[in-house]
Amino acid sequence: MRPAAWPLAPTFSPRAGRAGHASAPRDRIATDSGRDVTVVSRNGAASACDAAAFSTRWSYARKRQLFLAALAAPALVYVLAVAFGPMVQGFLYSFDNYNLIRPGSRHFVGLDNYIALWRDPTARSAVINTFLFTFGAVTIEFVLGLGVALLLWRDDWFNRIALGLLLVPATVTPLVVGLVFKALLNPEYGMIGYALAESGLSGPRGLLAEPQRALATLVAIDAWEWTPLMALILLAGLKSLPTDILEAAKVDGASAPQRLWFIILPLLLPAAFLALILRMMDAFRVFDIIFVSTGGGPADATNTLMIYGVKQGLEFFNIGAASAVSTVIVACILAMAAAFIAVLKPARNRHA
Amino acid sequence: MPDRSRLSLIARRAAICAVLIIALAPVVWLFSIAYKPTSDIFASPPTLLFSPTWDNFASVFRYFNLGRLLESSLIIALGSTALSLLIGVPAGYALARATSPRAIWLAYFFLIIRTVPAIATLIPFYLLMRDVGLLGTWWAVIILNTALNSAFVVWMMFSFFRAAPVAIEEAALIDGCTDFGAFIRVALPNVIPGLIASAIFCVMFSWNDFLYAMFLTKADTKTISVALLSAYGTKDISWGTLGALAHFSTLPIVVMMIALNRYFVQGLTQGVD
Repeated sequence: MRPAAWPLAPTFSPRAGRAGHASAPRDRIATDSGRDVTVVSRNGAASACDAAAFSTRWSYARKRQLFLAALAAPALVYVLAVAFGPMVQGFLYSFDNYNLIRPGSRHFVGLDNYIALWRDPTARSAVINTFLFTFGAVTIEFVLGLGVALLLWRDDWFNRIALGLLLVPATVTPLVVGLVFKALLNPEYGMIGYALAESGLSGPRGLLAEPQRALATLVAIDAWEWTPLMALILLAGLKSLPTDILEAAKVDGASAPQRLWFIILPLLLPAAFLALILRMMDAFRVFDIIFVSTGGGPADATNTLMIYGVKQGLEFFNIGAASAVSTVIVACILAMAAAFIAVLKPARNRHA
Repeated sequence: MPDRSRLSLIARRAAICAVLIIALAPVVWLFSIAYKPTSDIFASPPTLLFSPTWDNFASVFRYFNLGRLLESSLIIALGSTALSLLIGVPAGYALARATSPRAIWLAYFFLIIRTVPAIATLIPFYLLMRDVGLLGTWWAVIILNTALNSAFVVWMMFSFFRAAPVAIEEAALIDGCTDFGAFIRVALPNVIPGLIASAIFCVMFSWNDFLYAMFLTKADTKTISVALLSAYGTKDISWGTLGALAHFSTLPIVVMMIALNRYFVQGLTQGVD
């Protein structure tokens, strides 16, 4: 994918012609626009000429580097200042006793916030809930997403339209997703909730009010929202598979399940890993749908780390505790990101 | 056996239709309650048939300053998208064309910034905005959204630029084009799908966000998502009104996604193949 011959070899300096040295062997070509274009031939003479240019000006490669650095600088400075800076600040807050309600009392407490977090049973259950939610949701999304991707594999008009419509759940505001299911699952007037309550599959107050099943219900809602995205990424992976191998297997008489298990899935692994880790990083920091539909309840049954942290910080204004929670979340996400990059790298090298 | 393959095609399409119904029904249902009279919304058992009414849309205009809410959402979404593209696209190009092996780590840095949860930046940023007096303004939300969206744009454009052919740029440079000219006039036109995809995602992220806007805006600068959330907790706002309000917060993004579906899909799957 990536051309090896970049930057151009140091002796090959397309900009040397601009330096005003007219002595080197150059071919002057008149273009149709009448502008003269100087081509420096790739030999020793040209490089002798460039040496003169080097003494007064930077080399081409050096200038190119500076140009690229200048292009990257605004984004880098901005992200460092507005996103990374506050993150580091938050990390530092996590070692302070810092409560906005008592602003004067801020002082360094070392690891106390982390120890308090460890001792708080609500926080521990939030960790467990977060992992249960993440692995539950991502597993279901992967299995269903693979099924949908296999259904949509054939590239025809019907599947293209279906794919477009299928992505609607991923574009609906997560807040609205929470509201929709809150209403749908209402046992009195919601379509699904009423049916479940009538048939005895849920208690009279609905699935979201049952401590044992509220988290599983949220996993199902997340699966509704994000399975299409998983399917889309897996579909892109399927479409990039080498067709000759699949044809050969078919000709050799491999059955459809055999082809899926022995050929398609192994070849799909890189795309599948990327999809899985990306979804895991997103599911781990899920906030909107839980905040809207249960707010962490009933009885903390759906309390995740994000909900817990936001409550500590922006409801109780306990900045120290909230920052400790967010540091824990960031550490988990960084671990996943490291896995993501490790998978990505060999994939890149293979293409190169 | 043509009969059998035809049968399996029909079975596949039926399965896809079933998946589509599951994916779309909840959204359609939410929209449908906007046209129901309140008595029908709370009918137990729930009714499928009802006599449509515009009452809920009327109460949206009665309870909310809809124009102002849409204005806030639009300014925040477009402002942060424009800024993110302005700084993110050149950086994506620079990282894709840089020769240093460290450039890829810089690209990973941007990727990680995008995946870090909202809470890690929100609380310190909230305190910062309070101290500089920007709390409650559009700027506060635009500045924070731009930081996260531009990180996303850098990563996405990085993969689009890497996939674009370099030879044309090299040729342009040799022909005397400036570095900047090669970027603007040669490289950019090659990645227009990437630019559109980046813009779609920035608009979507900013428009759909409510956590940042909830804490960083105040009554007269709040976005439609925040209004939707606060309306949800209010006694006199019915589900019908919420459904009507949800039209305005959901439809713009859904319509944009369907209209620009090709770019949306390309953006999501860039780098997979």
